[in-house]
Amino acid sequence: MVRSQGVAYLFLGPWLLGAIGLTVAPMVVSLYLSFTDYDLFNSPRWVGFDNYAKLFGDDPRYLHSVGVTLRYVAWSVPLKLVLALAVALLLNSLRGKGQAFFRSAFYAPSLLGASVGLALAWRAIFDTWVDTPDHALLTIVLLSAWQFGAPMVIFLAGLQQIPRDLVDAAAVDGAGWWRRLWSVTLPMLSPVLFFNLMLETIHAFQAFTQAFVVSGGRGGPADSTLFYTLYLYERGFTEFRMGYASAMAWVLLVAIAVITAVLFRTSRYWVFYGDER
Amino acid sequence: MKAHGVLGLMLCTVLAASACGSGSGSGQTEIRFIWWGNDDRAKVTGEAVRLFESRNADIKVSTSFQNFQNYFEKLSTEIAGGNAPDVIQMDYRYLNEYAGRNVLLDLTPYVGKEIRTADWNPGFIGSGKLNGKQVAMPLAQNATAIVYDPKLFDAAGVKVPEIGWTWADYRERAAKIQASTGGKIAGSTDFGGTEDVFETWLRQHGKKLYAEDGKLGYSKDDLKAFWQLSKDFRDGSATTPPELVTTLNAGAEQTPMGKKLSASEHTYDSLYGGYHTVRPDELKLGPYPSDSKEALGSYRKPSQLISASARTRNKDAAVKLIDFLLNDPDAGKILGANRGLPANLKIREAVAQHLSGANKVVFDYEKAVDAKLGDAPPAPPKGDGAIYKLMQRKHEEIVFGKKTIDQAADEFFEDAEQALS
Repeated sequence: MVRSQGVAYLFLGPWLLGAIGLTVAPMVVSLYLSFTDYDLFNSPRWVGFDNYAKLFGDDPRYLHSVGVTLRYVAWSVPLKLVLALAVALLLNSLRGKGQAFFRSAFYAPSLLGASVGLALAWRAIFDTWVDTPDHALLTIVLLSAWQFGAPMVIFLAGLQQIPRDLVDAAAVDGAGWWRRLWSVTLPMLSPVLFFNLMLETIHAFQAFTQAFVVSGGRGGPADSTLFYTLYLYERGFTEFRMGYASAMAWVLLVAIAVITAVLFRTSRYWVFYGDER
Repeated sequence: MKAHGVLGLMLCTVLAASACGSGSGSGQTEIRFIWWGNDDRAKVTGEAVRLFESRNADIKVSTSFQNFQNYFEKLSTEIAGGNAPDVIQMDYRYLNEYAGRNVLLDLTPYVGKEIRTADWNPGFIGSGKLNGKQVAMPLAQNATAIVYDPKLFDAAGVKVPEIGWTWADYRERAAKIQASTGGKIAGSTDFGGTEDVFETWLRQHGKKLYAEDGKLGYSKDDLKAFWQLSKDFRDGSATTPPELVTTLNAGAEQTPMGKKLSASEHTYDSLYGGYHTVRPDELKLGPYPSDSKEALGSYRKPSQLISASARTRNKDAAVKLIDFLLNDPDAGKILGANRGLPANLKIREAVAQHLSGANKVVFDYEKAVDAKLGDAPPAPPKGDGAIYKLMQRKHEEIVFGKKTIDQAADEFFEDAEQALS
């Protein structure tokens, strides 16, 4: 028993080293930095909760960036999931007839996912939209929704796990397409839906590349695309307020953790696992 | 769900940069030189560096470049990561930001010796000094200018920019050009969000961007008047529409001028090469308009400076490269006026003998305005980088009707004073 545990740790070793060295240690450092005034070049100076107090009490731009990010999450996540689900349903009905081809084709934009080239192309296509404050955010929402490939593939896999006989039985009982979708497919798919919702929400909160490239790194025009991460980056790397940026990162971490916990809480009311009654 | 782990990892990637340092290699001398610019600058810089290597077989130089927008973010990350480049192209605006944090090597002991300055204008050397320390050497000289399309000026029947023209003249001519193209091409590029234009305008009024003590050198009313001037251009159909204000500070190919959407644009003469690449031989340089007969507002600005890292392990090699780029006649020939007028006056003269293309336009312009150019003010204080962006942002809010000039000016002052504190 003891010996086998030793072997387990031996095999865990590389991962453990990586997790501690690359994740835990930097996180601890950044937590420490969030309580300091640190300009990247000189030693950090302890300031207690100053950074946190400033965030909520004395930085309208910060609150603005929170607003922009929440708006982005609220628009892009549902839009992307609905698109992904719709296309997955369509592909699922294709069984055999070129499904593989279309699946790859629809997945392609996601492969290019965080690519800078893509965001640049997007910028060129939506030239004037990107440069007007009222439309810039929408452009980035669309760019994100267009990359629905990853949740789509997961949806598709989920759909293919739904037993045919359940759907057929519903059909025999006279259920139409909508009825089957609502009463059979969606409940059976809810764990997958939950997984996608969670992942996409977390991703959306951390969106950076698209906004950075599309807005030329400034969150413009007139701060209309000032995403949380973009503001964090600006504070940290162009204004040399790394302590402040670390505080921002920790607030984001806690906020995402809370939102994730809330989603988990609600899941018991709407997520249906096959083994439940 | 592994989401927490994924999240943690991603967050850390953002912030870990400060924690993960790596030393640079040792053994045979190898130095790293980084700078900002575009492809045409990359070509000549690469050529000069290769010549340096061929003359100094024991030194290997690796170079890399970025566009200006991302340059300083990359630089700060590298320095913080303990991976500072040895030789660093520096901007006047950021000099205090870096030197004030003891990141740059004090070159004072080398000036006049390893770094030759016999053929220099002594006043110009001073532009690389902070608190008595030579933290950088100016690489070249530039000045603010208006780049314009003479064909459009002629077609509209208006005179091209010349010394003595006023802001009212500018607005009138720009409006006429815009009307003559049926509104397709703007008469000017909106300048209200650009701190460089504001500075030039302030100097025309006998004021400065920063006072001696490093605080703002102008009043709220000055800023409002400047923004009103830009608004007058917009109201008079003489400048670019709002959607185009966000494209400034990108490469020349992305500005309204580069895209043929404007007939004239505020710029620095040292950026002319970029415009020339996009629109060869189509554009010219002219002086800023000014309401003052005496003051043009433009000054002999170090277009770029060159510094060594305080932590370099190869001081001698770094200093050697700096001297080579500044003072070697052959390097001077290769580099031409790509970064502006060479700082070494002998080289400047030599380059002036064989001018063509973009270099000629730049030299002709500097010659035409030279008598009117002032000396450079001290380098801007820490925080100016943030204020530069702040000005652009607040102006955008005005242009898009989100704020009035008064509101924007109030907010600007509040944020700017905080950035300087």
